[in-house]
Amino acid sequence: MTQSKSKPKSNCKVVACYRHLASCVGGCTDSLQLRDELRQTREKAQKLAGDICHHLTSHLRDKSLPDGQRKEMELLWVAFSSCLELLHVDMCKVLNISGIVSLADSASLVHTGLEGGCSDVAARALSLPNLNQAQTDSLPAGLESQECNTMELEISQIDRMIDDMEMKVNVLRWLVEPHGPQYADPLSSTDSASMALLSIDEEQQAPTSQPLCQRSHIFVLLLLLGVFFVAATLSLCIFFFS
Amino acid sequence: MTIRNALRDHGQRYRPRMACLKKAEKVLLEMQDPCTGVKSQPQRLVITIIPHAITGEDIIAWLADRFQIDAQEARSFGSMLVALGYIYPLQDHKRLVIKPDASLYRFQTPYFWPTQQWPVEDTDYAIYLAKRNIRKKGILELHEQEQYNHLHKWMNHKWDFVVMQAKEQYRAAKERKKPDRVVFDCQERAYWVVHRPPPGTVSAMDYGLDRRTDPNTDETQTPDYYERIMIFTQQSIMRPRVKSSVSIGALVKYSATYSGHDPFLSKCLPSSPWLTDDTTYWTMNMSNVEIPTKMRVERWTFSFKELLSDPRGRDDFRLFLKKEFSGENLAFWEGCEDLKWGTAVTMREKAEQIYKTFLARGAPRWINIDGKTMEITVKGLKHPHRYVLDAAQTHIYMLMKKDSYGRYLKSPVFKETLKKAICPEEHKFNEVQLEQNARNRRPSLSPIIIRQQEQEQRAKMAANAPVDITQLCRFTTPVPHLAVYTGIPDPPSVTASPSLPFLAHTPVCPSPISVALDSTSASERRMEASDGEGNAEVRAPEGGNLSKSRMALSLRRLLKRGCSPSAMFASLSPKCHTAATTSSRIQPITPDEPSQAPPRRIGNFFQIKVDIPPECRIYPIESEDEDEENRPASRDAVVTEEIICPWESLTRQNGTG
Repeated sequence: MTQSKSKPKSNCKVVACYRHLASCVGGCTDSLQLRDELRQTREKAQKLAGDICHHLTSHLRDKSLPDGQRKEMELLWVAFSSCLELLHVDMCKVLNISGIVSLADSASLVHTGLEGGCSDVAARALSLPNLNQAQTDSLPAGLESQECNTMELEISQIDRMIDDMEMKVNVLRWLVEPHGPQYADPLSSTDSASMALLSIDEEQQAPTSQPLCQRSHIFVLLLLLGVFFVAATLSLCIFFFS
Repeated sequence: MTIRNALRDHGQRYRPRMACLKKAEKVLLEMQDPCTGVKSQPQRLVITIIPHAITGEDIIAWLADRFQIDAQEARSFGSMLVALGYIYPLQDHKRLVIKPDASLYRFQTPYFWPTQQWPVEDTDYAIYLAKRNIRKKGILELHEQEQYNHLHKWMNHKWDFVVMQAKEQYRAAKERKKPDRVVFDCQERAYWVVHRPPPGTVSAMDYGLDRRTDPNTDETQTPDYYERIMIFTQQSIMRPRVKSSVSIGALVKYSATYSGHDPFLSKCLPSSPWLTDDTTYWTMNMSNVEIPTKMRVERWTFSFKELLSDPRGRDDFRLFLKKEFSGENLAFWEGCEDLKWGTAVTMREKAEQIYKTFLARGAPRWINIDGKTMEITVKGLKHPHRYVLDAAQTHIYMLMKKDSYGRYLKSPVFKETLKKAICPEEHKFNEVQLEQNARNRRPSLSPIIIRQQEQEQRAKMAANAPVDITQLCRFTTPVPHLAVYTGIPDPPSVTASPSLPFLAHTPVCPSPISVALDSTSASERRMEASDGEGNAEVRAPEGGNLSKSRMALSLRRLLKRGCSPSAMFASLSPKCHTAATTSSRIQPITPDEPSQAPPRRIGNFFQIKVDIPPECRIYPIESEDEDEENRPASRDAVVTEEIICPWESLTRQNGTG
């Protein structure tokens, strides 16, 4: 069971990383390296997806599965199918963008404000410590069209996988009950720095009455008042006892 | 709930063509060109510097230069690009407009560009909100919180996945460098402001209902496709042509007339419900409102069609026609409309009833149409279909339009309505009130309920209204549903109209009913026609009940033999007084005395303004006299000779009785 759970989790991770990589496509950080990373992530995702699909389908078609296990399987099934959908849409979008914004014309890459690459993200996806990429400066001819074809093939493959899944196993989605909480708990290391940057960004806007801001201001004021009173009492004490 | 809806159901579920998106993309790619595009500058946040920020004024200047347009238009164009999501503001990120000052914007990454092919998924939105909640608990705004709870409810089965994916995306983002992380967060936030706008704003990607055809599929060149093209071009050739000066002139005139009345183009009193969420405007303009607004009354003066299509206007017109005693025209027109738009099952009976009431010789509400149209109509009625009365209806419509409409506009009825019409004051809402209005939005009445209400009202009107029958013949059968078209009784003035439940028993005893009905209007007319006719006695059984009126009837018959009748009145057969005529206005009618009828009749003819061919008027009276004599004999058998529709039997003619 743990093995069957770990694969969907890693699939989830890979799909999340793929989304981050896909968001850079067409931007100023788009490069051969990025496309390469995309391709590798994609391949990993598809491999994982194939495995999970096979595993889940075989288990769910097994009529003798006990109820508890079946519920678990159905939960995984729902999660997996949603992952696949996300991956499918992301791949379609990447294909679409590469049609609009071509790598060859570097001036047309949109200046989005990004500077660094996404190799760390790709490394996380592929579960490698770091990616050693050979820097290819020149764009091999016909790479783009080749890439397009490959992508189209892969997209249709995912399509077929999804259809197959639907045909073979009948999972009533609305009966699946999730285990987890409604709110994702904040992870232990909260990203305070980027939070600060973002919040400054927000404060730079035209002063709109934010009740949250006012509340925090009032809280700070009260705190200061409290400190002031404590200081006053202390000084009075000193005055009386000296 | 499958991943892909594999049903080929030809349902309406495709997003429409959005041609503007492709064009905007081209413009954007030009704009961001480092050499020829808008010049960018770095954005300085506390510690970091993020490049590729552009100012609003630069954008506007570039657009004005590139497309050779003035600054105002460049500004609207820029705002459109921001509203669609191709450029996002860095400060004040919720307001998607271009400000012509030094406020900063940035280009959106192509991944987050709006697309036509793929709809924006709620799953993505749920993941985004969960991610934001991970970053800092409680950062979600009120509307986002509500959306989150709503999504949690209906996407519950996916929730584990949503939370897991949010965590993974968050962790993946941590792998990136800080400035990139900030940029990505800004991009994502801007994307969701466009596609899930905060309350009070509208998304530029809002396209209304889904469409039937998928614009992304190429149309296959089948023989059907070519046949469609051929039919289309043939019809285009056959279309009648109008000079463009004429048609454009008509368009200009229409726009000039109606632009003041359009709630989007000009100010809407009291306030536009689409902007302020306050529905007073709609409630004031409902169809059954007592006092219309001034704008509405003004619309009635534009054309006759406007008057008729507005239910309140039609009521007013009906009232006027009632006073002029030409209500049958409007009633006939409404009957034809009912026939045209009604269900196929009822069509035959409706056609019959309309014929009997309006078209046949000696019909109670005979309308005046020329011989040729009558001929065509009667011939068509042999095989009735939906549009069989079209010619007659058009004739009557033109008659009303050319004649009655003009008089209506000068009439005291209209002037009264115009005087009473209200001009509401403009609402001035402040921000808080606007928010409250938005929160108190409720859906309007369901159309099923509205239809039920209309039907109830119609039934009530049918039961209450005095049938203003201009001419009466004992051979006619009053029709229940046609009483609908007899108009609303004047609210204050009319004395309690007779409730006519007995209309349901039409085949049984037609004539006295119609007599009783007609008595109200007849006596009205009689009063106008003949003064000092002992009207006090006519009005005597005021508040009388049935027995009283019956008594009065026999009394009258003794005393008022010489009283002039208006039109022909069928003789009263006492047996048929089954109705609960509790009205005070039931005036029993004296039958004619043949000897005295002719001279007075002619007098009344002119005074009553009933447009009926004389020969039609004559014969029922004669037969009536015969029947009157025969009545004691035939009291037991109630003879009801109805008007025979010509298509029912050609042998039995509607003869002399």
